[in-house]
Amino acid sequence: MRKLAETAVAELAAAGVQYGDARVESRSLERITFRGRRLEEASLRSSEGIGVRAIVGGCWGFASSTGLSVESVKSAVERAVEIARRGAGSGAGGVRLAPLSPQKGSYESPCVQDPFEVDRLEKIGLLEKCSEVMNSDGRVSLSWAQIHSERIERVLASTEGSLVSSKLIHTQPTLIVYANHGGDSQSRTLQCGARAAGWEWIEENRLVESSERLREEAIEKVMAEEGPAGVMDLVLDGHNLSLTMHESVGHPTESDRALGWEANYAGRSFVKISDQGGLRYGSDIVSFLADNTLPMGLASWGWDDDCVPCQKWYLVKDGVFQEFGSVRDTALLIGRDSSRGCSRAQDFGNFPINRQPNFYLEPSREPVTPEELIAGVKQGIYIEGRGSFSIDQNRVNFQFGGDRFREIRNGRLGRPLKKVLYGSRTTEFWGSCDGIADERFFQPMGLLNCGKGEPPQSARMTHGASPARLRNITVGGGVR
Amino acid sequence: MTREEMLAFVEAVLERVKAPHAVAVLSEDRLASVRFGQNRITQNMDTFTRELSISVGDGSRRAEYTSHRIDTTAIPEIVKTAERLLEGSAADPEYMPPVEEGQIYPVVEAWDEQTAAAEPAPRIGAATAAIESAGRAGIETAGLASMAFEKTALATSTGNLAWHQATESGFQLTMHAGTGSSYVSTHSTAWSGIPVSDCIEQVVEEAVAARDPGESPPGIIDVVLEPQAVADIMPFILMALNARTSDEGITVFSGMEGESVASERFTLRSEFGGPVPGRPFDREGLACSEQVWIERGVVRAMHCDRYWARKTGRPAVPSPSTYGMDGDAGTAADLAAMSSRCIRIRRLWYIRFVDQKSLELTGMTRDGVFLYEGGSCRPVKDFRWNWKPLDLFSRIEALGKPVRKGWLTVPPVLVGGVKI
Repeated sequence: MRKLAETAVAELAAAGVQYGDARVESRSLERITFRGRRLEEASLRSSEGIGVRAIVGGCWGFASSTGLSVESVKSAVERAVEIARRGAGSGAGGVRLAPLSPQKGSYESPCVQDPFEVDRLEKIGLLEKCSEVMNSDGRVSLSWAQIHSERIERVLASTEGSLVSSKLIHTQPTLIVYANHGGDSQSRTLQCGARAAGWEWIEENRLVESSERLREEAIEKVMAEEGPAGVMDLVLDGHNLSLTMHESVGHPTESDRALGWEANYAGRSFVKISDQGGLRYGSDIVSFLADNTLPMGLASWGWDDDCVPCQKWYLVKDGVFQEFGSVRDTALLIGRDSSRGCSRAQDFGNFPINRQPNFYLEPSREPVTPEELIAGVKQGIYIEGRGSFSIDQNRVNFQFGGDRFREIRNGRLGRPLKKVLYGSRTTEFWGSCDGIADERFFQPMGLLNCGKGEPPQSARMTHGASPARLRNITVGGGVR
Repeated sequence: MTREEMLAFVEAVLERVKAPHAVAVLSEDRLASVRFGQNRITQNMDTFTRELSISVGDGSRRAEYTSHRIDTTAIPEIVKTAERLLEGSAADPEYMPPVEEGQIYPVVEAWDEQTAAAEPAPRIGAATAAIESAGRAGIETAGLASMAFEKTALATSTGNLAWHQATESGFQLTMHAGTGSSYVSTHSTAWSGIPVSDCIEQVVEEAVAARDPGESPPGIIDVVLEPQAVADIMPFILMALNARTSDEGITVFSGMEGESVASERFTLRSEFGGPVPGRPFDREGLACSEQVWIERGVVRAMHCDRYWARKTGRPAVPSPSTYGMDGDAGTAADLAAMSSRCIRIRRLWYIRFVDQKSLELTGMTRDGVFLYEGGSCRPVKDFRWNWKPLDLFSRIEALGKPVRKGWLTVPPVLVGGVKI
């Protein structure tokens, strides 16, 4: 792989490009899936190929090809250079990369037990057991159980002299159980998400025990009353907050959105370039820390697809917006000297774009428990997990659901509820946060499927939070 | 690869398979596109993928392996890997052998040589024209111009051999004028079918008209959904039109086969040879066919996999990858003129289930909302909606002329009395 990357870069240099890089990748993806009691999918996907970028006359050219032959590499280089030259003729490029010194090194994500070394029948047996447990009650109508294991090896070289590599193992268990009652159908889902880890992440989530719990909670949920409507306080767990953060903080603080580069599809941002260091984003206790060095993080690759080292910085500190996540061709346009290293492509077949970093809501430094947060609520709802989610293209007006709901009355958790939605506007919502639990209650959540870009690409990153309390949020009928 | 080379390859793969059942699918995809934003070209791409998927089964167990190593010398190892996976698999209680021999595939013409050649000049020209027009109008543009082809060869151990090729061109364009914006999305088998200049002219004009939107009035009002907005919600209906999940009580169509679910003006069908050509076979090699899914508001057919078809006595119904809603004549503007007071919506965005069982959705409007009242028309701000699409399509008052939007052909729709 390294030799192919170096060959591609030598060809790019010989072609006289302003800048060029080559990503050579080899990936293995194993998915074992049960639908109900049936083993629906037992698949392995081996992919390998190269993606080549070139800048000529201020215009990008990108070409990719599957396979790792010298011929496919040369073909990709030729096509990348050719379309960059043709684009340069239009005069509509204007790409300027933020400076970067040559990078060398390798990164390996933490992995105690390689999931590809675990016997396939053991994985199937585990999921089969989960399926049996989830379907052991007649009120359960459907279940899903899946183990997703992925190995990514990547070598990235550039005409600036960088040569870096990454070896990543990402693992995700999935459990979903649907229960039917009285003409309604409701579901519960395992909320842990994916992690840069091996088989140990599957074991840590105790899937059989989780299956039993989720089955009971799905039945409880479908039989519950619908949630109330009105303005009330919410206590949201870390998994629920992770998705709300992703949509209302992660996306609006991507520099390419602020510049209008995503206007045709994923959308723009209410956050302006001039808002860096000044926009009040939340209350004083709200700080969002970006961290692409987080060992468990799905966006921790050592270097991004621009060869920029992974970094740690505040998106929001003490309630004030600090700095966008950026890539080398947006950094100068947003008034920065260097990139924050957020350039990632779905795989070698895609052009790297500005993606969200790993980031999390900083827990309280003082001891605070979720029970203390709930104790401060006269009337409200406690929400666990992710559910329905929708936000406008400028990332202001949002509506979220959840996966499990409990009424809060006079400082105590009460009856279970279903069909709860909350809606707000981004800075009002984070401005209403008056309590965050401490790090003992922190819950990370890794996403494998953040969609963005044209053609659409998926990206992965990890968020996290401790439970937090939000005051006076519109719930239920007011949202509808 | 040529048709003959691809078919020879999948046959060579099956010749190596020792397992009694196998399906081999070889595909080639090329996508060349120019992306622009902030009145500059931001991406310029030409991607190529060639991959082989092989599914093997022994009568009770199955396994699937996909590889990018496409050369005849790699076939033995690829087959060996698939068969090793099969040995490590478990019994499938819903095991189905490959589709029966003698599948008769419809002829679907979907190829354009010029588009397949993917010359960069037309794409760069379209992007540059949009950027220059936006610049002249003092507004900002973003978009995508693309050309693509796909070729698929498929062989089953039961004797079916199939091949299909298709090209696809697209031009999507957004313009922003202050806080107002407009959008158009066009697709065609051939790049020559993309009206680039007309699209640019239309979007510039509409974006300027959408500048400085006012408040949208809450209440009950007629709504005109432009074809793009109809196309944005239609996939949720199609997703729910599934025989198995409906039988399992999870979708809004549970127990509704043969029942009325929408207005008599609502008919949804799949036909080959229309603006969206469709596909002749699915990934298992099952022949696709024309269907009427919902006829005058009554559910007539649902997608159904082969196992569920055998279990329930229905026909197996794969997706033909082309769907169309019947329409009438006229444009969205013509429909708006039929109402004394209405909101016209161009595009819906970030649509998600609020409740899967009742097919209740939420989302936002985007890139153009206009209030028509008292003979005038003015832009209004985007708003959040929580609607059940089958409720909307139960209150259709008029339909316009269907146009292609992606893999759908849909008309503009005038819906009476919608809660905003």
